[in-house]
Amino acid sequence: MPETAQYILWTAFYILIFPGALFTSVVGLFLAGVDRKVIAHMQRRIGPPIRQPMYDFFKLLGKETIIPHAANKFVFLAAPVIGFVSLAIIMLFIPIFGFTAVSGSADLIVILYLITIGGVALIVGGSASGSPYAGIGVSREMVTMMSYELPFVLVLLAVARKVGGSTLVFSMEQISQWQVENGHMLFQWSMIPAAIAFLLIIPAEVGMQPFDVAEAETEICEGPLIEYSGAPLAVFKLNTAMKMIIMTGLFTSLFLGQFRTGYYWADALLFVAICTVLTILCMTTVHAVTARLKIEHLFKFYWTIVTGLALSSLILVWLGL
Amino acid sequence: MNIQNFPVLAVMLLFLSAFLVEIFGSKIAAIRNFITIVAVTVSAALIFALIPAVLIKGEVISYWMGNWEPVAGYAIGIGYEVDALSLFFALLVVCTFWLSAVYSISYMKDDHHLGHYYTLFLMLSGSVLGLVLTGDIFNMFVMIEIMTFASVALTAFRNGTEGALEGAFKYLVIGSIGSSLNLAGIALLYAECHTLNMAQLSAILSGGLSPTTVMAFALIVAGFGVKSYMVPFHTPAADSYAVAPTAASMVFSGMVNKAGVYGMIRMVYIVFRAMDASALQMLLVIFGTLTMFVGVTMALAQHEFKRLLAYHSISQIGYVIMAVGLGSTLGLTGGLFHAMNHTLFKGLLFLTAGAVLKQAGTTNLDALGGLSKRMPRTTLYFLAGAAAISGIPPFNGFASKWIIYQAAYTKAVESGNFLYVIVTVAGLIVSVMTLASFIKVTQAVFFGQLREEHAHVQEPPFLMRLPMFLMALLCSAAGLFYPLVNRYLLHPAVDATVNVTNYIDKMMGDGYAAAAGVTNIPVQEVQFSFWDPLLWLVLFVVVFVAAAVVIMAGKGSRGRVLEEGAVADPKYATFFSGEQELYSQVGGSDLFWGFKKNWKAYYRVMDKLHSGIVTDYTNMAVIAVGVIVIVMFIFLI
Amino acid sequence: MFRKLMSKSAMKSPWLYHINSGSCNGCDIELVACLTPRYDAERFGFKLAGTPRHADIVVVSGPITSQSKDRLVRTLAQVPEPKCVVSIGSCPRSGNVFKGSYSIEGPLEKYVHVDVSVAGCTPKPEAIMEGLYQAAQILKKKREVMGK
Repeated sequence: MPETAQYILWTAFYILIFPGALFTSVVGLFLAGVDRKVIAHMQRRIGPPIRQPMYDFFKLLGKETIIPHAANKFVFLAAPVIGFVSLAIIMLFIPIFGFTAVSGSADLIVILYLITIGGVALIVGGSASGSPYAGIGVSREMVTMMSYELPFVLVLLAVARKVGGSTLVFSMEQISQWQVENGHMLFQWSMIPAAIAFLLIIPAEVGMQPFDVAEAETEICEGPLIEYSGAPLAVFKLNTAMKMIIMTGLFTSLFLGQFRTGYYWADALLFVAICTVLTILCMTTVHAVTARLKIEHLFKFYWTIVTGLALSSLILVWLGL
Repeated sequence: MNIQNFPVLAVMLLFLSAFLVEIFGSKIAAIRNFITIVAVTVSAALIFALIPAVLIKGEVISYWMGNWEPVAGYAIGIGYEVDALSLFFALLVVCTFWLSAVYSISYMKDDHHLGHYYTLFLMLSGSVLGLVLTGDIFNMFVMIEIMTFASVALTAFRNGTEGALEGAFKYLVIGSIGSSLNLAGIALLYAECHTLNMAQLSAILSGGLSPTTVMAFALIVAGFGVKSYMVPFHTPAADSYAVAPTAASMVFSGMVNKAGVYGMIRMVYIVFRAMDASALQMLLVIFGTLTMFVGVTMALAQHEFKRLLAYHSISQIGYVIMAVGLGSTLGLTGGLFHAMNHTLFKGLLFLTAGAVLKQAGTTNLDALGGLSKRMPRTTLYFLAGAAAISGIPPFNGFASKWIIYQAAYTKAVESGNFLYVIVTVAGLIVSVMTLASFIKVTQAVFFGQLREEHAHVQEPPFLMRLPMFLMALLCSAAGLFYPLVNRYLLHPAVDATVNVTNYIDKMMGDGYAAAAGVTNIPVQEVQFSFWDPLLWLVLFVVVFVAAAVVIMAGKGSRGRVLEEGAVADPKYATFFSGEQELYSQVGGSDLFWGFKKNWKAYYRVMDKLHSGIVTDYTNMAVIAVGVIVIVMFIFLI
Repeated sequence: MFRKLMSKSAMKSPWLYHINSGSCNGCDIELVACLTPRYDAERFGFKLAGTPRHADIVVVSGPITSQSKDRLVRTLAQVPEPKCVVSIGSCPRSGNVFKGSYSIEGPLEKYVHVDVSVAGCTPKPEAIMEGLYQAAQILKKKREVMGK
């Protein structure tokens, strides 16, 4: 059975190294570092080195893990790991230009649900810690999730319709292939509102200011993360960083999928470069110039403005434009 | 033993033991439990014995009561007929009542008049099983009647508790409306077609519908809509599920409303063969979408564990009706799969609610908290159920919802109708809201801070844990191995639903279907592309590696991951900004106000509609029946 | 190697948790001044954390009033190892001008081992930075001891 063995090895490689766990974590931490560096420069500071999030990660690994007595130990420790695994898996479904690790017929829905798991892990973990601050954080995180899910779904359906025409396409690979033939999705004028909506969803999904109501460290002491310390906290911080690459990467694949260099390594580099630009554009800049919203305003913002943008795109696409 | 007798034996055994329990077991618990367990086990075994013939070989099992076979081309006797669709639902039914019976032994131990309880329980089980196995439409009505009245009595079983009689009364009124609609429809049908056998009806009606049969059709669809708690008829469900003994609530949501769904599928696909009509599709899809949306938003506003689960039952049935209403084989597959999954995860969730009620004495979300410290296993089972119902991979809810979304969006793309896009989006949003309301339960019941009065709550006894464990296992198994579920359960059932020549010929003699012009159409294969056992294997390895890294990192540095500390040690106390730890639980009512605030107007309307007055509910039901009849009259004739 | 990396990271990424135990706010303002663009403590990886569970360095200012004593002790206990305690200003050291007051329960040394003490009323941001940087070094040493 050498073929099966080879297949297992390749799958393991995909999940563990590229484009799965290792690649996602390293690039995610890099993007988090870029974010901190750039925001420091925007505020005329020198800022931490770009590898600072890695220091944070390893430092947290070396810290003591305190499990408060009100917490459910198993869920408290398992939640970050589950989040990590689901986020590492998502990257398999996102094509890095010419390269796709796993492709199916309904990737978009799988991605949608796997991203949800990342949020659910935070919620359940926070809830399991037994702190009332975490309870408030959990509530806010869940409402945030409900807020951005609606426009997110609309954007994905608009893309699927644009690519599929009269057939059903939920496959990332086909979306990528379609863009090679027809040019970047972003430059289809009917898709521009959807792209803007997606860019607005990214900071909420990652939990960046002004949409970081759930982890407001100055009012509810980091919300769901309040009782976490040491290694589980490190994994949660890593998860946040991974979400940055996943969300920007998803945008790249959905809207800027035409690039092909012909080499996988060059594709990957270009991919990371575009993700970096997107990070600076839609997270750092927004973060630098805004203050935190209230949760009900956040909900209203997403269900009116962002949903409106996404919906207008979907209707335009539906009308065949 | 002739396999053709098994279905009837399974049903009869349950009815017979219902009387035996009352006669011999009303005083002695051991006899009572023995009779019940033997009856449900043998009955389940008889149904399981049909699997090889029906699901794998694709045969149809039939039995004529009293050997009254068709005379001169007219079926005059009562016939039992089991095709794959019937057996699919029968399997759900036997699983549900078997697990519920096992659970009841411990759960109901402290109640009085248990002889009555088991009698009603077995009557209910027998009637639902009979309903899904029978091939005679009037027999179906009889079973519906038994089912309704057994359910009403079970709802009122704990008549000392607040709201039990009220719930039973609402159930009785609305349930009777449903039964009467069915009866009226069946009467019209009999007048028009002179037969009550569903196989023969199917053959006769395949020629087209006359105004009389359309009327009958509309009444029957509305009748089964009531039985499956489609939205304007959903009102008694919340009241009755919340107050019935939990083992019975599980049966209600696991099989009684499935009986309604089964009836709906049997009628629209097989007896009336009308699913090609786009008006009917739209009608069912709109009702299904309304059902799932209203159900979930009402669930978000609940403060009571079982009531919340009841509204989720409504919401999930909405998914099923929506998927079934799409009229495609993909939709049907998703709908059947979701019906099955709903039986599994909602049963599991009701059982955990029962465990909480039994051990902690309340299911009020504002009066609970921190039970995971005292009931860790129940918590894990609950989390599995909650993940499954919210559609989190790799649990079963994800797989079925995934198929439903695909089916709905395919429908949208094929028909070019924007309505189906809205339906798809609604499905996805309802899924997130389902997640939200289960987060609320998790936070309010199992996590957070333990109340003083619950400091000595224990894990439920083994006989209550066993059904929960089995259901959690089934939930994950159905999610992980859904291609197998599809091949052996769903595909035969879907095939039997859309290709009915076999069903007709078995009852009425070979060639009858062909003579009536019924033909078969091939079933579209469902694509499960991302499923790959090796992928999952590697995934599990990753989980272990990642978990090991987290634990090792904590270990390597500290020597050990710290156990829970003593309460006195402030190091392990919850952080209260430096204050001494005090009781402060963020309970059910406090969560999600950011959401509710924005939806105030909607909830005001919903408040008005759910007034709790039976007259209002009856009015709603009557209006909905009117709408169904008018729409079907306009578009189907 | 992994251990070395963790020790190095412990020095490079110290997160602060600030406890005000009855301070006049002078020291608190100077601590915040450290994070401003002019001094930019973040370039050494310093960051204010929202909860003691995330902290490496606990910064204490103020003369420990009797109201704040219990809260201070409790919060200090909740910080995971390895941790450093840095006192800012003269108050936690000696009680400063409040010494002898009926409501003062200082100095800080009575309740916890203070790793670095920055004197002054108030200390300049440069001095605070210096103190915090020293604390980061101590953190690294503590982490090395802990790893063995």
